[in-house]
Amino acid sequence: MTPQSQILLIPKIECGYVIDHIPAGLGIQVMALIGCHPELEAAVVTLGLNYKSTRMGRKDMIKLQTKSLPPRLLQMLALVSPGVTIKRIANYEVVEKVVIQVPELFDNLARCINPNCITNVEPHIGTRFKRLESGSRHFKCAHCERVCTLDELAGHLKA
Amino acid sequence: MKKDLISIDDLRLEQILNYLDLAARVAAIPDAEKFRFLPGRILATLFFEPSTRTRLSFESAMTRLGGRVIGFSEAAGSSTAKGESFSDTIRTVEQYADIIAVRHPKEGTARRAAEISRLPILNAGDGANQHPTQTLLDLYTIRKFFGQVDGLRIALVGDLKYSRTIHSLCRALLMFDGVAMTLVSPESLKLPGYLLKAAKGTTATFRETSSLEEAIRETDLVYMTRIQKERFPDVVEYEKVKDAYVLEAGMLAGVPARFKVLHPLPRVNEISPDVDATPHAGYFEQARNGVIMREALILDLLDARPARSTP
Ligand SMILES: [Zn+2]
Repeated sequence: MTPQSQILLIPKIECGYVIDHIPAGLGIQVMALIGCHPELEAAVVTLGLNYKSTRMGRKDMIKLQTKSLPPRLLQMLALVSPGVTIKRIANYEVVEKVVIQVPELFDNLARCINPNCITNVEPHIGTRFKRLESGSRHFKCAHCERVCTLDELAGHLKA
Repeated sequence: MKKDLISIDDLRLEQILNYLDLAARVAAIPDAEKFRFLPGRILATLFFEPSTRTRLSFESAMTRLGGRVIGFSEAAGSSTAKGESFSDTIRTVEQYADIIAVRHPKEGTARRAAEISRLPILNAGDGANQHPTQTLLDLYTIRKFFGQVDGLRIALVGDLKYSRTIHSLCRALLMFDGVAMTLVSPESLKLPGYLLKAAKGTTATFRETSSLEEAIRETDLVYMTRIQKERFPDVVEYEKVKDAYVLEAGMLAGVPARFKVLHPLPRVNEISPDVDATPHAGYFEQARNGVIMREALILDLLDARPARSTP
């Protein structure tokens, strides 16, 4: 793919956000997350798949023409795909760049992996998963105390 | 802020030691004086699954302190059986009592109760997760027998894979200094790897043996557990291991006078009745200590601790 065709496929945006460095293959899943946010209903969204990346080999990228990103979407990104870069664009230029990190706490974003956990018996109960220690990819359910991995939590995302 | 007791993992060593000290102070108060502590106060024992021993222990503790007890001993017949949610039961019952002890087959229920109720919550067992009053009474018993927990050699025997009591005790022992644990279990019921991992960076040590006799010779106390039939999907597997470790009085010949045998009770076959008459049987005193520890916990959570000057 030439640089020219990349530009045609996913043009620069005047203002909005770019979700960059999405691991190749996860772009579709991130699109689905965006689709869960009614705040983004009016946003023009372009999805690019399988770009060459010096850092990642291949990557996906999403551009959104919108004034703001819902905080819950950012939290979901931290769960599904930590390490993605969020770039804020104004006048076609990147004015802000943040790398999404794994947080210390996931507040009501995912269901518990333990079917015997009270939060699964009464699904209206808000879940909380606390990171075991800084740097760890393991989280502990605040209710049943079951420890699970970030990937397991990402597989149990709340609708 | 109100206090709860939900999980041993919430406690630092210092808090555990405070509870052991408080229990020792409570034990020194004559029963004839204890009833003055909580007149007119009500403990609700909400047992969504039966556990007669734990419930009676809580009820005895509250009654001895001069309080009263309301509650139920199984979900059948309660409003839960009619479809009421756990959260609603807690929100309703908290209108009737001053403190709640809750036992439930689902994990996380005690934590849920604590987050929605303005009353202090005592976790009397949430599914396979926690049973912190048991752990505290075990530690109290050990310290009472040996004067300290640090440096003891403790054998954990039986179902080390599924026993919540063992997991919780083990985690607590890791907080103390230099406890040497000997693990005795059938191959299929070994201690989970995450607990062995949790010992890294602590002063505790683990070793395994399949011989109960050897464990008795080389430790200060054995903590026996029941191998539970309901843990086995296959009854044949259960039959293979159920009598794997049976402690008999003869095996205690030659142990030091202070050697003790503990068990959370109820026992089935794993401790022969002939052990009861030996000076090493500690399990019935352990049950008595359960009442004392629960008295201490109820007093602490209701902010009614006896003054330190109490003998
Ligand atoms: Zn849970």
